[in-house]
Parts: sequence; structure tokens; C-alpha cells
Amino acid sequence: MKDNSSLTSLAGPLALAGGAAMVLAQYFIWVYAPVEVTMGQVQKIFYLHLPVAWWGMICFFIVFCASIGFLIRKSPGMDQLASSAAEVGLLYTTLALATGSLWARISWNTWWTWDPRLSTALIMWFIYAGYLVLRQSIEGRRKMRMVAAVLGVVAFLNVPLVFMSARIWRSIHPAVFASEGGGLEPEMLTTVIVCVAAMGLVTAALILLRFRQKNLQERLWSLYASDSRFNG
Amino acid sequence: MHENINPDVLLELDRVSHFFDDRLVFKNISLKLPRGEVMLLAGPNGAGKTTLVHIMTGLISPTSGTVLSGVPSEKTAYLGHHTFIYPGLSGLENLRFWAGMYRLHKSLEELEDLLALVGLKGFMHENARTFSRGMAQRLSLARVLMLQPDIFFLDEPATGMDAQSRQMLRNEISKARHRGASLVWVSHSLQEDLDQADKVLYLENKKQAFFGLTSDFKDVLQERLH
Amino acid sequence: MTPRPLALMAKDLRLVFADGAGIVQPVLLGLILVFVFSLSTPVGHDVSAQAAAAIFWLATSFAMILVFNTLYSSEGSNQSRIGLLLAPMPIQYIWIGKALAGGVLLLMAQLVFLPAIVVFLGQDEVTAWPMVLGCILLVDWGLVAVGSLLGAMSQGHSARDSLLSVVIFPLLIPVLLAGISMGSYFLGDGSGEDLGSWIGVVLAFNALFTGAALLLFPFIYGEY
Repeated sequence: MKDNSSLTSLAGPLALAGGAAMVLAQYFIWVYAPVEVTMGQVQKIFYLHLPVAWWGMICFFIVFCASIGFLIRKSPGMDQLASSAAEVGLLYTTLALATGSLWARISWNTWWTWDPRLSTALIMWFIYAGYLVLRQSIEGRRKMRMVAAVLGVVAFLNVPLVFMSARIWRSIHPAVFASEGGGLEPEMLTTVIVCVAAMGLVTAALILLRFRQKNLQERLWSLYASDSRFNG
Repeated sequence: MHENINPDVLLELDRVSHFFDDRLVFKNISLKLPRGEVMLLAGPNGAGKTTLVHIMTGLISPTSGTVLSGVPSEKTAYLGHHTFIYPGLSGLENLRFWAGMYRLHKSLEELEDLLALVGLKGFMHENARTFSRGMAQRLSLARVLMLQPDIFFLDEPATGMDAQSRQMLRNEISKARHRGASLVWVSHSLQEDLDQADKVLYLENKKQAFFGLTSDFKDVLQERLH
Repeated sequence: MTPRPLALMAKDLRLVFADGAGIVQPVLLGLILVFVFSLSTPVGHDVSAQAAAAIFWLATSFAMILVFNTLYSSEGSNQSRIGLLLAPMPIQYIWIGKALAGGVLLLMAQLVFLPAIVVFLGQDEVTAWPMVLGCILLVDWGLVAVGSLLGAMSQGHSARDSLLSVVIFPLLIPVLLAGISMGSYFLGDGSGEDLGSWIGVVLAFNALFTGAALLLFPFIYGEY
């Protein structure tokens, strides 16, 4: 527990730094970066879409690593980290899907299209939503943690196959729209990098805060459970 | 896990502690079980007796400490409250299935003899679903005897047994003891079972409150009462 | 002497057939799905080959969930799971035994679904039967590998069918897409130029989940 508290004490400073970085990122998005010619202001969605999509995937990778850690060391902390990362990852993927859909509407005139990346994100969203539902539904915490960890591992291993199959699927159903290609303006690229970095700080803060909550909840629970007055 | 220095010690636990998540079940259990001895495992409800037996059988690994066993898993028998019986199979099929799992070559005659021993030969082709609790426990006993175990773990097997089955269990246990098998016996009726044990392990307040000879344990009990 | 995974499979099949419901229920559910789906087009219009293939694999997936829930519940009644864990054998044998039993039951269900697709959805141009069988077996392998791994969490009745399907279906997307794509080709739709890539996807999926299951199954099925 001691080693966790030094880690979770970083949550506050990270959140502050993340907040400041987000403010800075707004300057880059609205003032520094040029307005895109064809899409206009709507293109600014991109500066939210890309960081959340990116960090969402990283969150799922954290779930994967923490799940392996849990299976090896059986420490509840690893499980708490995995579930915190899964929650944040699911939130980000939801945002990525929503912003992606808005983008698609403006850019390709449709709310949804079979784009390999978009489809992979949606399928990941389903898998990790299932992961969180599973955590609520299995009786017995030890069993739930084992099953969740196994799912956390196989879910991430599955990502390349999901992406690959989504791409092959698309090739027989040629999409009407080409995926957004071409190089970014250098100012835009700088802005994207700033946004990704800012979002990274926010992500770390969110995961750590949630992790600390779960940690405290667990300790409270075990205090309650070990109190002889409640055991009879 | 299955290595042992002293061939006369069938089971050795060294400072075994177990946690469920952050909750301590018990700590620092150390004991040796020599060949041919009966050890009674007692303690109040929730003291972790079944968990300790599960650790002894190798079913779960303890959070810390070591378990050394001189008996390979095919010679380890576990007879608990649950019978492991498949209700959809007949008595004979159940026995044959478990023989297969332990890679034992048993002829039909041998299996019939086993069932006759526990008084189930007349019912061996009947679906185990129709068995009474006592019959199911006797079928379970036949499964355990089939293994010719060197060490028995009995986790309150007598629960729900009729007097006749209980006597049968006692007889078979004493036979196995004469063969040199050891026994770990979880008991709830301490007074009743105490006389049959060589040693007692008493779990209380998450630790080993007593481990030693039965006669010493009786003295401790007497002191407590006064 | 029968190898133990086969003995486990034989035991499970016996239990399922003695009961009957274990196989009838998934077959019925699949048939209902196929029939209801036939209402998706106006009377007299054909369902496209791709749609037919999709409903075939959807029916199979639902059947798979029910089959593995039944298979893993057979150890529940008298805690036979503990007995299996104590037996001197690798825990993975149980995964293999259940996967084999699940595969047999799934093939039996598909034996009913296939004619149902022909009858209700008007698909009568099935080509290249040996290839069809090969592809079905290949996709089924992937399905039972995942089903036998994650179906194990239903032991002890703590997980219901609905939870299993929510967790398992999204994981199956790569093989389901492959199955639908290959199926629509064999039902006379599509060029089949991607057949090779799809077989590659399925093989990779099967290898990945077979390996993962062998490694991870003890964590799900063990006692802790």
C-alpha cells in the first residue's frame, strides 16, 4: 500500500499540469493553427479526436500490462490499475467515436462508414464495455479479478486481428470515401503534438485518481470485513 | 511441491500464511504429518479449516510459506462435503470416469467389487440422480478407496451420512491406517472424534492455537473449561 | 486406455445427450433466428448470400454460448470441478475436452442450420462442398477455442448466458467477419479473391486463442 500512495500523490500535480496544458492547447487550436480550407472550423474536432483515440488505445494497453501483472503477482493493486485504465479508455473511445462520427458527417456526409480504424475503435469499445460489465456481474471478487485479467489480456491481443479483418472486409465493399490523407500543415502538426501531450497529462491524472479511489475503497472494505464486530 | 527429504513424513507445512485479497485467513501454520498418523483439524466456524485443507492438497497455493508433500497427487484422496458425483451418469459410470482421470486400469469386476464394498452393487446401473445423500457419499467413498491413497483429506465427510455409512467410513479409515496411510480430518464434533486422532491442530484467531498430541490437547481443553 | 481429454469429452457428450435439452435448446434458438430473419425481405424476394451467411454465423454464435454454458454447468452440481482439479493431470485437458465436446455439439447444430438457410432463405446454389466443410471447421475451431476459455467463467452459475454473449461476441468479430465473407462466396456471391486472406485471419485467430487459452485457462478454472 505504501508504494501506491507515493504514486497516487502524483495525481494532484498531474491534474493541475494537465489543466494548464489544456488551456495552452486551446491557444494552439484556435489561434496558432490555421483554419483548414475545405472544412473550416469543423476541422478543429481533429485536435480532440486524435488525442482521445490515441490515449484510449494506450489505456487499453495499460489494461493489458496490468492484467498480466495481476496474473503473475496476484496483487489487488494491479487489478485496480487495470480497471481504472479500462474505465478511462472506454470514456476516451466513446469520445473518439462521437467526434469521429461528427467528422465523418461533415467530411464524408455520413454519420458512419466502414473505416478500419473507426470499426476497430467501435469493436474495442464493445469489448471493454463488456469487460466492465463482467467486473460488475461475477460473484466472488477473487474469481472476478482472475476472469477480468484473462479478458484484459486476450482483448488486447485481439486488436491487430480486428484491425486486419476490418481492413480486408472493407476491400470487398469499397468505401465511397477515401480516408483522410495528405500531409498536415506544420502548424497543425505542432498543434496536434501539443494536444496529445496535454491529453496525456489529463489521462495520467484521471487514471491515478480513479486508481486511488479504488485503492481506498478496497482498504475501507477490508477494514470493514476484518472488524470482528461485523463478523459476529 | 512433491519433494520430501524424510520419507516418513507425508506432509510438511512451514510457516504457511494465506490471504484472501487483503484479508488474512491464517498465518504461520507449521506442522509435520508422519506416516500412519491421524491429525484432527479443528476450530470455530470460519477459522479457515477448509482453506487449509485445500492448501494441503495443493488445490490452492498459499500466499506465503511452503508445503512439502511426500505423496504424489494420484495417491492423494479428498473426501469432502461435496461428492463430485455426476448426477446424469450411473454409479458405475461415475466410478469408471474417475478411474480414467487417474489413469487406473480397472476391470468391470474390480469396479463391481468396489461398489459391493460400499453396498451399492444393486444400484450400480441406476442414475446417480436417484441416490440418497448417504448413497452418494458411499459412492464417493468408493471413488476414494479405488485410488488406494497414501494420504486422506476428510473435510467433514460424515455430514448427512446415515449411521451405517458412517460406520463403514470408520472401518475403511482404520483399514487404510493399518496399511500406513495418513489422515487429515476436519471435525466439527470435536468430542466425538478426538479419541481417534493422534494429533490435533486447532485454528483460532487466525493462527495455530494448538498443535500437538491429542492427550496434551485434552489437558488444554480442561484448563480452558476451568 | 482412452486419452483423458477424450474421456472428458465423452463424459460431457453423454451428459448432454442424456438430458437432451443441452442440444435441443441451441438448435431451436438458431432455427428461430433463421426463420425470423427470413421475414427481413418481402415475400418472394431472395435474401442475399451475404445476409444468409451472416445469419448462419449469428445462429452458430448463439448456439455456441448456450452449448458452453451447458457444458461447464455439468461440474456444478456436486463440485466435480474440485475433483477434476485434484486429479493428476494438466488443467488444460479440461479445456481441450470441453472444446472438443463443444465442437461436436456445434457441428450438430450447424447440420440443422445449413438446410434451414437453404429452405427459409432460398439459398440453393451452394458450391464446393468439401471447401465449405473445411471453412466451417476452421471457423468453428476459433469459436470453440474462445467459448471453452471464457465459457469456463460460467461455472458455479455466477455468469449467465447474456453476460457470456456480451463478453464473447465482440472478441469473435475477426472470425465472424471471415466466416460471413467465406460463406457468402460459397453461397454464390462475391469473387472469392479475398479467400486466402480470410483463411489467414482465421488461422491466426485460432493460433492466438488456442495458445492464449492453454496459457490462461488455469487462471479461470482454478481454485483460489
